[in-house]
Amino acid sequence: MADLTLNAIGKKCPMPILLTKKELKKMTPGQTLELIVDDKGALKDVPALIHKTGDTILETKDNGERITFMIQKA
Amino acid sequence: MAEDISFIVSDRSFEKFGMMLILGTTGDAMDVKMNFFFTFWGLHLLRRKFKPKAAGMPFPMKGMGGKIFSKRLKKFGMEDPWGLIKEAVENGNMKLYPCQMTMDLMKIKREEMWDFVEDPIGAAGFLELSANSKIVSL
Repeated sequence: MADLTLNAIGKKCPMPILLTKKELKKMTPGQTLELIVDDKGALKDVPALIHKTGDTILETKDNGERITFMIQKA
Repeated sequence: MAEDISFIVSDRSFEKFGMMLILGTTGDAMDVKMNFFFTFWGLHLLRRKFKPKAAGMPFPMKGMGGKIFSKRLKKFGMEDPWGLIKEAVENGNMKLYPCQMTMDLMKIKREEMWDFVEDPIGAAGFLELSANSKIVSL
């Protein structure tokens, strides 16, 4: 179970990125965030953001309709 | 990855506004410093009352196009574009610079613009603040 969940279903670039960054800012190191999106662009964009913030993507699941990222705050 | 990018915006279309909005706010999320230098027609984008038109639409549809695109962006989660830009400016990553000379040329006043727009600068000022950044013309 993640500490926090961010449901960004229906939102498109750049909103999933802006909202994820906002959540990450509020989190403390070690906490996890489950991000759920259906914008296909997020498959590349979320890893690009997390690479830049220095946090970690623990898991990515793509069931064809929605993508779920498990992100851990560094 | 580039740490600092300067954009020149010389057009007042909805399309250029959208590019500024999306790149600027995403740059803020990724801690990239982004300067936007508005000159000639691009200055209109900084006016509080200005509603950009979609340049790519056929002639009688341009104004309508801007409204339709705004509505669709809302559905995509972008409810308050200027609110997002303001946040990026307040975080210190996005800066909006009007060009002083073309403001005079176009008769556009500082008071018509959003209050979080930086003080106007000239060509030398823009080149100096872009000394360590890539310059891209939008």
